[in-house]
Amino acid sequence: MTAANPFVEWLVGWARAVRFAGLALATAMSPSAYRAETRDVALKQIYFTAWQVLPGFLLFSALFSFVVIEISVNAARGFGLAPYALELVMRGLVLELIPLVTALFVALRSGAAIATEIGLMKATGELERMQAAGTDTLEREFVPRVAATAVSMFSLTVLSCAIAVALAYFAMYGASPHGFADFTRVVALVFERAALGGFVLKCVVFGALVAVIPIAAGLHATARLKSVPVVVLDGMVRLFFALGAVEVLALAVKYT
Amino acid sequence: MDIESPVTQVPKHLQFRVALLLAITLVIAVGFVAYALYARGVFEAVQRLTLVADNAEGASVRMDLTFSGFPIGVVRRITLGDDGKARIEIDVPLKEAKWLRSSSVFTLERGLVGGSKIRVFTGNLKDPPLPDGAVRPVLRGDTTEEIPQLVATSRAILENLERLTGTGGALQGTLANLQTLSERMSGRHGMLGAVFGADADAAKVVASIERANALLASLERASARLDTLIANADRRVLGDAGVLEQTQQAVAQAQALLGDLRGSLKKLDAVLLEAQGVGANAKAATTDLGKLRSEIDESVRKMTSLIDEVNRKWPFRRETEITLP
Repeated sequence: MTAANPFVEWLVGWARAVRFAGLALATAMSPSAYRAETRDVALKQIYFTAWQVLPGFLLFSALFSFVVIEISVNAARGFGLAPYALELVMRGLVLELIPLVTALFVALRSGAAIATEIGLMKATGELERMQAAGTDTLEREFVPRVAATAVSMFSLTVLSCAIAVALAYFAMYGASPHGFADFTRVVALVFERAALGGFVLKCVVFGALVAVIPIAAGLHATARLKSVPVVVLDGMVRLFFALGAVEVLALAVKYT
Repeated sequence: MDIESPVTQVPKHLQFRVALLLAITLVIAVGFVAYALYARGVFEAVQRLTLVADNAEGASVRMDLTFSGFPIGVVRRITLGDDGKARIEIDVPLKEAKWLRSSSVFTLERGLVGGSKIRVFTGNLKDPPLPDGAVRPVLRGDTTEEIPQLVATSRAILENLERLTGTGGALQGTLANLQTLSERMSGRHGMLGAVFGADADAAKVVASIERANALLASLERASARLDTLIANADRRVLGDAGVLEQTQQAVAQAQALLGDLRGSLKKLDAVLLEAQGVGANAKAATTDLGKLRSEIDESVRKMTSLIDEVNRKWPFRRETEITLP
């Protein structure tokens, strides 16, 4: 590694990530990637990323949603704009905030772990040994993890959003079933086809980014163990920027 | 390394747990999508209604059509027609279509705050129902369009108000006058001073009142004297030896005189008869006639004097002069 211009270095890092994402996508498209071994890796990854954290994360998400919903609904009522409170909560919290928070949570918990693991495998020479033994590391190790992280992200987001939607109903109408017609009208207003499609797409992209960027960063580690923290840090910062950029892009597409 | 153990340890029923998680996720996701489609009326039969407006400003897709405050339909599409008018296409679920009648009126209202509203007003719910695909005009009411006019009017009002209240304005002048008035009212001549303005005029009024008082007192005295006067007249006319009594006496005298006269006339009659009877002996009778004539003359004289006296004493005769004390 030469001491080049930091900006060029930064751009090269992004190029590596994009290249890795392209390779992973191509591998995911090939039928040979769907084998028992890769499925086991994916299942394990889903288990660690989604299942293990499920109770804690859902509790946190419910609390966070509850606070945001209460503030929004009460503020809207205070301004005499109660009919718009529900729409605001749906658009702001369910469609935007929860996917972003979930992505950040998964990035903190699993993204960092994945980057470190790959970095260590690279530093200790394990990856090279696997490749020397004829194992396609991309197909065996990386793609299943990327796919599994994306699925986990989607799962966590959907569950959190379901809780938030239920909480929004209770915050607005209490336990009364008579708010259902009104609620349904707002749902119809907010969740149009493009919004639903965009929501699913955003969840999947967030999930893929949370896996792809740390793995691409980890692969950049050198044989020295000390290079691992550097690549993990670099990967996490890039991930944060990437998530922010996707969110801004999604908002721009939706509201312009 | 300790930390490696949980990572490498494969939990029991891993496949089942992951499958369960994915299944729950899928059920929720599919369920919500179905709910959203239901909410958007995908599974519901709708009838189409097209509203024609001169200006579709404020209308937007997915906007509600409300009846009595309840949403009964949504705007599906807004297009510009060939005639240059906006066509707002609205989907109304069949179960809500009963609120739309042939006599329904549609309005597109724009408020100051919040979005526009498309409303339907149905006066008679027994009118024939609106057919599918009906085209109806929509009336527009725009608060923001009225604002410039409102501002212009209120500015004119404010200017008027300013002119009224400004320095040298009518209101100020009136207040100053009012102050002068109240000062005069609390002054020496009180209300009179306020009514007449100048103190001198008020003083004149006070003097007039005083003179009127004096006049009244003098009138009182005059009326007392008049009373005495009337009492005196009473006494003179009606009292003892009054005019009335004297008149009565004179009348009695006149009656007696008339009796005398009658007697004399009877004598004359007899004399004339005698004269007629005697006839030829007229010459002898001439001396008697001369005597009689003097008697008649006397009687007539007495009579004349009596009548004169009566005339003199009679108090109500016009020409008679009654001197009062």
